[in-house]
Amino acid sequence: MKMFRKQLGSLSRISTQLQRNVIASGAASRTAEMSTNVAPALDAAALDEFRTAVANPGEHSTLQSAKFYTIPVEQKKQIFTGGGLPKQYEQQIKTFTETCLMVRSPALELLQYIKNADLSKPAVRYVLYGENGVGKTLTMAHVLHYGALNDFVLVHVPWAPNWMKRPKEASNASGQEGFIDLPFDAAAWLVHFKNQNAQLLQKLQLKTSKEYVWSKRESTPAGASLIELVEHGIARIKYASETTAALIAELKQLATNNQCKIMVAIDGFNAFFHPITRIFSDNKQRVSPDRITLTQPFLDITNYDWTNGVCILSVDKIAMTEGYMDSYMPRYLLGKEGFEHLDPFVPIHVKNYTEKEFMSYISYYLDRHWISKTPPGFEKQLKFMSNMNPYTLMQLVRGL
Amino acid sequence: MAANLTRLLEHKLQTSSAVTAQRCVRLFSTQQQQSEVNDDEEFRVLNLRTVKQQARRREIKKDAVQPPRTSRMAVDQDWTAVWSGPRSFHPASVPLPLRQGYTERGAAAPSKYANAELMKIPNFLHLTPPAIRQQCEAIKKFCTPWPKGLETEAKWKRHFPIEVLSTDYCHSLPTIRHPEARRVTITLKLSDLQFDAHAKDKFLRLVGERYNQETGVLTFVTDRCPTRKQNYDYALYLLTACYHESFVTEPWEDTKSEADMEEYHFERNQAKKSAEAILNWNSKAEQKVAASPSYATSVEQLINEGENEYNLAKYKEEVLKMLKITV
Amino acid sequence: MAYACCASKNILRIAQCTTRLMSVYPSHYVSPIVDKNIQNSKGLELSHIPIKAAPNDVNDTIFYGELKQKFLNYITKKGNAELAKELLTKTFEAIKRTQIERLNLGGADQEKVITDAETLLINAIENSRPLLTLSAIKRGGVKYQVPVPLTQRKSYFLAMKWILDAAREKERKVKLPDKLAWEILDAACGQGRVIKKKDDLHRQCETNRAYAHYRWS
Repeated sequence: MKMFRKQLGSLSRISTQLQRNVIASGAASRTAEMSTNVAPALDAAALDEFRTAVANPGEHSTLQSAKFYTIPVEQKKQIFTGGGLPKQYEQQIKTFTETCLMVRSPALELLQYIKNADLSKPAVRYVLYGENGVGKTLTMAHVLHYGALNDFVLVHVPWAPNWMKRPKEASNASGQEGFIDLPFDAAAWLVHFKNQNAQLLQKLQLKTSKEYVWSKRESTPAGASLIELVEHGIARIKYASETTAALIAELKQLATNNQCKIMVAIDGFNAFFHPITRIFSDNKQRVSPDRITLTQPFLDITNYDWTNGVCILSVDKIAMTEGYMDSYMPRYLLGKEGFEHLDPFVPIHVKNYTEKEFMSYISYYLDRHWISKTPPGFEKQLKFMSNMNPYTLMQLVRGL
Repeated sequence: MAANLTRLLEHKLQTSSAVTAQRCVRLFSTQQQQSEVNDDEEFRVLNLRTVKQQARRREIKKDAVQPPRTSRMAVDQDWTAVWSGPRSFHPASVPLPLRQGYTERGAAAPSKYANAELMKIPNFLHLTPPAIRQQCEAIKKFCTPWPKGLETEAKWKRHFPIEVLSTDYCHSLPTIRHPEARRVTITLKLSDLQFDAHAKDKFLRLVGERYNQETGVLTFVTDRCPTRKQNYDYALYLLTACYHESFVTEPWEDTKSEADMEEYHFERNQAKKSAEAILNWNSKAEQKVAASPSYATSVEQLINEGENEYNLAKYKEEVLKMLKITV
Repeated sequence: MAYACCASKNILRIAQCTTRLMSVYPSHYVSPIVDKNIQNSKGLELSHIPIKAAPNDVNDTIFYGELKQKFLNYITKKGNAELAKELLTKTFEAIKRTQIERLNLGGADQEKVITDAETLLINAIENSRPLLTLSAIKRGGVKYQVPVPLTQRKSYFLAMKWILDAAREKERKVKLPDKLAWEILDAACGQGRVIKKKDDLHRQCETNRAYAHYRWS
């Protein structure tokens, strides 16, 4: 009798499980149906709500603030192939199958300055600063997109500290005594430069002003096009650093002669003024950044002694190392030397999301099915947990 | 064995009792002889033990305690005559119902009589207002009138900016000299001295920690000479020497570099060069434009006061104005 | 799915109903209520009843799920809950990425793609729960593998353990979150190694049906 009851019990359990599976799948399909019913209506409303059709950053104004605009795939490929977007943002782009950037106030402010700038005056330096993860790099990306569309030659360093912290290879410079060459990094930068500017350089037909002699047999004659110079650097990796220096000097001169206009964008610029790097010299001592051959040309081009250009630099806490990360303010991060180099610059504070931006981002995530838990008040919880910091929000939303 | 022992004990007992009996007999016989002498007067009590006669204690004669003096004091007496100088408390001299000291809860504090608490503490009964007035009256004939024009503190501070402090010690030792008495302290406000920028900087470096940044007061303490007079002279000498030395510019002072500066000065720095180079870009040599003073102050503020949102916003505003970037 | 969610609630805390003699709380103490809405609906009912201290691993946010928390505890090694949390978050991220990619690829069954990682985890666990197990019982000097029904708690435990074991059995280069994501996705679809393991066990129980009476006699 007892045995029978127990067996019966287990049988009934099996049946409940079967039932459960049925119900579960049924429920799934029902929710799926619901979502499909709702989706078209949502999309139509959503485009008004958090997206903007204006894809040209030159036309962005406060009307489009806190709205998403889409960068076309071609342009994204042209500008950001060699870096420029944070790694996790790239991942997000891949998952969401679209390159969307939010129009935010620091970028708008910066665009306003650039549009109204008098290019016959010396290059103005704009310095983006702010806490970790507030969107300095993405602000820069927005402005870079503007530059690419408006015939600026882009001189873009996606993350300068990479050269000081994890160079691919370091060797002694052949030309200058006591200096360190980063041939692979320089070549990679040249490739990046070529990717970004190939079309424009073709169009502008820029020529070198003097002859560069690399070795006994190799030289670039005066009057050669800049593309040739760049390609030489890519092909002969040994001379990549010197080519970079030559290229930047040439660009500076060409811009001053009014032959082209240049947008310099360097992320983590304060790395150039960090006391030490992780590169060791021959006598096993850490080298300071000014002993790296790549540093000088980029310091040159951020100087004020040329025209027809803008410099957008960002100073970042994480470009520094332990012990130098107390504040996110530009003077602290740049140090005395860096401040003197840049002064007078226009500091631009990138802040956390505003209420509107935050809500816009949440609706974007919802649209992309990235947040699947939406009990009432979930935005409030996320707002509280992230303090409306973009990166923290991104991290929080990962597992939802 | 046991029988032997008992026999021995018995024998001993017999002998001892025999001895006491003999003694008693002898005693009785002697007493009988004495009592026979005054038999006729009265019946004598048998005085077996001689009682020692008690020695008479000498009585100390004490004067009757006088009532306290306070009870005899007139209401309008001259107090300064009663208590003319510093003296420890005496209950019978002070016509006040004083109480002082600790008691258990609820009980009244001990009265002034035989009260050590009152005697321990210093009193100022000799410094009552009438006493002071009296003494002032007495020394008045030695005084000169207060100088005119020094009525208020502000006025005399102007004429006598230096304050000299020294301490006299009164004590009972074989020597009347106290080692601390020779110490002289002079203080004055730094604002009472007149400097130029260089001299002030140098003076502050010379005096070092003798200058209090917060109050702006300069203090010299001298005690290296044996007498007060010498120390006072030395303090004044120090002040004078420092002051005049601060106006001397040594040849090596020109080598003071930017790193040695206490404060950031716009004029001396790269900021000025950069700003002017940008302002005078492509302009003729005659039409040099200098950076605006408001920009200069904003840079100085940014660096001297340290970075904060306010200073940085100010700096940004000034830079935008200077570079003529329209918002 | 909603049913599955509800079913999983309070399953793992059944033991709390019976009084534990070693508990620091007297028996009239009630457990704290996590859900804010339920708490509000109780009104003044709880105002004079002593309540136990709140457990520190439970919260009423969107980040909390009961089964998820339990799974997190099984992932944890040497008390490094921080790492376990990070691993599970990465797992969920990987699940979401694959599901959204599937969604974006399009296809016939686009409507059935679930992008909620936690739902998928719950489905996976529910699908891989065994009902019976074999236990060795000695009768007449011979050990018999006797099919024995499992309690609900034990079956949940086994399901989660199997998923985790399957995920940990990987090459060194593969990261745990990636492998775990795959295992969860497989199990949620009713396939993969864990489901096979469960089916194998059920089949063995079935073949050993004849020994079932050894449980009692």
